Amino acid sequence: MEYLLLAVVAGLAAVERKGFLQAMLSRPVALAPLTGLVLGDLRAGLLLGPPLELLWLGAVNLGAALPPHEALGSAAIVGGAVLAGRSLGTGVTPAVACLTVALVATLAVLGRRTDRTIEEQNVRLAARAESLLERGEFRAALRVNLAGLLLPFAASFVLAPIAAAAAAWLVPSALRRLPALAPPLALGWAALCGFAAAAGARAFRAQNGGQLFVTAVALSALLARMLGIWR
Amino acid sequence: MEVTLPRATLWRVFWRSLFLQAAWNRRGMQNLGFAYAIAPALRRLYPERERRRAALRRHLSTFNCHPYTAAAIVGGAIHHEERVAAGEEPESAPLEYKQVLQGPLAAVGDGFFWAGLRPFAGALAAVGVLAVGWPALLAVIVLYNAVQLWVRFSLFRVGYRYGDAVVDRLAALSLPAWGARLRSAGTLVAGAGVTLLAARSVGGAGRWATAVAIAAALAGWWVLSRGRRLLPSAYGAMLLGTLLGAALGQLGGGP
Repeated sequence: MEYLLLAVVAGLAAVERKGFLQAMLSRPVALAPLTGLVLGDLRAGLLLGPPLELLWLGAVNLGAALPPHEALGSAAIVGGAVLAGRSLGTGVTPAVACLTVALVATLAVLGRRTDRTIEEQNVRLAARAESLLERGEFRAALRVNLAGLLLPFAASFVLAPIAAAAAAWLVPSALRRLPALAPPLALGWAALCGFAAAAGARAFRAQNGGQLFVTAVALSALLARMLGIWR
Repeated sequence: MEVTLPRATLWRVFWRSLFLQAAWNRRGMQNLGFAYAIAPALRRLYPERERRRAALRRHLSTFNCHPYTAAAIVGGAIHHEERVAAGEEPESAPLEYKQVLQGPLAAVGDGFFWAGLRPFAGALAAVGVLAVGWPALLAVIVLYNAVQLWVRFSLFRVGYRYGDAVVDRLAALSLPAWGARLRSAGTLVAGAGVTLLAARSVGGAGRWATAVAIAAALAGWWVLSRGRRLLPSAYGAMLLGTLLGAALGQLGGGP
């Protein structure tokens, strides 16, 4: 049941991402909490959303160039982490998050390849619309446009639960076998979070971006010290 | 003869324009989406099937633009189709309009929305979630969509009413300047998120976490600015962080 819910969320996100609306709902920062909510662990979604958003902030569809499929990656990561955390009985700890991202993040790259294939398949849809138009079936010709929503939905519907299932199986068995791995993995997760912030900042390609970024990091470090967040 | 479309038809076109990229394909790109969007207007303007077929055929030609700013072209294409239907303009006018505007409007949309406002909203939402939780996320999403839907709708309306003058209206918004400001602000927001990310995501678990996150952020910037790829670098960060954690654990000073 959980896998079916995850499949539907991932499929809808793939549609919202390109085919319909583009209202930011398929961006990791929103999709991760949505996926968490659907799977009954909103907290995990809120934990994973911010670093994933920053990591994939530059995943943007410019012109005809395709970015990695950040929505598919995020849905699968949150799904895998929630189910792995549930099976361990610990919830999504930093170690679970780190291992799941390591296992599943490459799915975003596979998703880009799938997107490319779909765009090539869609050439046939365009040809079908043209021939229906010549036969005088106007309505049917135009409705072909909506048929294009099917393949992106299906690809994410299938891929997200498979990747999540792999994580839900491998991550708990690794952490059960090597419990000593958890504290070091937590630092691995902290490193990924820091890296994600850098990737996000880089994605803006701002003038003097380097100076702005280092200044912001230094200020936030200072503030964290003063507020006692960083002891 | 003046031909104007009923409001309900325009609303239908606007709604359908949200599906512009549904069947994005390598040959015609957004061609199917464009024809799908404008079809209700063509149905009104060309009651004769042959003229309607010709109109649909011309809107099935290759088209690609930014999904938000394309709304201006959908509106403007109807503006020109009304004049074609009334016999005031040649049948080539709507296509010329589309071809002239699609490139510049795509550049404005990509530069302002995809490279500016949306990542800025994403970074702001990410930091907001870490600082105050889900209400910040909700607020950012609502605000972002208010802006993007307002821009889409007003571009559609202005395109429909004024045709070519939509360019001046768009220029008056000075979106490229706003895009540059948002890019600087977004860089600051993402940078400011580093310690918050470390504190929230690893919990109070370790005094090392924040230091590691800051180091990874600075090293990450450096590595990425040297043209290294995103995911391999991310794996490198996770691996180095984990190895450092293991080493610290061996020394007994671990997290």
